[in-house]
Amino acid sequence: MSYSAAKNSQMQKKLRQEAKALLEQGKVDCIIGYEPGSLKHATTPLITKDKAATERLVINPFIVNNLSNFLPYTKGRIGIVAKGCDSRSIVSLIQDNKVKREDLFILGVPCSGLIDVSKVEALVGKYRDEIDDISRQGDIITVKVGAAKKEFSLSQVMFDNCLACELPTPAEYDVLLGEPTSPIGAAAESAGKLDELKAMTAAQRWAFWQNEFRRCTRCYACRNVCPACYCKRCFVDETEPQWLAPMPQEPDNLMFQIIRNLHVSGRCTDCGECERTCPVNIPLRALTRDMYDIVDELFEFKSGMDTKTQPLLTAYEVDEAEDLVK
Amino acid sequence: MTQDSEWEPRLLGLLCKWCSYAGADLAGTGRKKYPANIRIIKVPCSGRIDPLLIVKALRLGFDGVLVSGCHPGDCHYQTGNYRARRRLAITRKFLEGMGVDPRRLRATWVSASESGKFVEVVSDLVKDLKEIGPNELFGGKKQPDAEKAKTGS
Repeated sequence: MSYSAAKNSQMQKKLRQEAKALLEQGKVDCIIGYEPGSLKHATTPLITKDKAATERLVINPFIVNNLSNFLPYTKGRIGIVAKGCDSRSIVSLIQDNKVKREDLFILGVPCSGLIDVSKVEALVGKYRDEIDDISRQGDIITVKVGAAKKEFSLSQVMFDNCLACELPTPAEYDVLLGEPTSPIGAAAESAGKLDELKAMTAAQRWAFWQNEFRRCTRCYACRNVCPACYCKRCFVDETEPQWLAPMPQEPDNLMFQIIRNLHVSGRCTDCGECERTCPVNIPLRALTRDMYDIVDELFEFKSGMDTKTQPLLTAYEVDEAEDLVK
Repeated sequence: MTQDSEWEPRLLGLLCKWCSYAGADLAGTGRKKYPANIRIIKVPCSGRIDPLLIVKALRLGFDGVLVSGCHPGDCHYQTGNYRARRRLAITRKFLEGMGVDPRRLRATWVSASESGKFVEVVSDLVKDLKEIGPNELFGGKKQPDAEKAKTGS
């Protein structure tokens, strides 16, 4: 289904009604959704028990956060707004026994892709505040700055992981707020960095990552925002033995990210939150996407597709990956 | 490559307690000679090996890592080595994608009676590592035991 603003506002209306009814009937203890952010063209998570607050819930092309990140830390029964990618993270958490399916009421949003405001900023050469309006009709994004108006295609302004999205409509939901949508299907245009890296020699690739991680401050935002990183005690916080020096330095930064990726393998759904949150813009999706492809190639496993599937690293087949062992 | 004639690769062996460690032990009691480049850590099961241990070894400057467990079907805990295999396959492929030579991580199955195979695997890995050259991935930091030897503590 093609995107239109009218359909979107219908979806938003339905969400507000549903959310309010859920709280009134006591079916859930709280609602996790999105409300308008303090910045232009942005949203912020809304976690509320207040029926009146459901009027603030929004659905628009800027609902970027993966809200499933809150689930392991939120008590009671939860009504959660989930796009396709978020639903996969939720399913992954259910597989890991971190949340119970019966404690959740999933308000599924058939997603048509999200707009990357930083891409728009780069295209029009203006900051977020200076852009008056970003609107979408069908497959055209119109950006207004003062009297000037510019049009862009989806592949120019959508998030890379939205272009490569395989599941825009949630696979797991209790209520679907609109008609199912189909993938944008522009994976080839989104793999930019990874393709570039694959064309390099091994030494060049390693040098590339060394260079990238030189500016990492090890703020751990990528870990904190990741729905798959829910360990109460992360290996980076351990002191006996201490795996990493506390001071951010390139070799340890790099090691941290390698291990983080290996630890979330088979649970990472390539939602792109780590790359979005990175304050120094390290292209982390080139790593998560690579891991996603490796897991698929070796074990034909796609994370977060079905609540009944066993988590990748707790299962095994007798005859697999045999060429690994000599 | 910065190989001088004195350079010898160092490798870390993570060997399962039930099979491979006993296999290495048997090589010793059988007076078989294997390269002294390997430093061995005994682990309860190959399924215990977190990729963290492997990457940490590379971070410390080991030139290669050998992971060895029981043959499929022979695991003391039934399934530990199958789980290890999955994890190792992912680890090796991912490291390769980042630019690490996949030959630096070797996985093998050695039973308690296969001392000959253990000797073979270690010799082969040392040969490979000599070809690849020293590990300078993480700045080629000195290993703790090398530092200790210098300070004499």
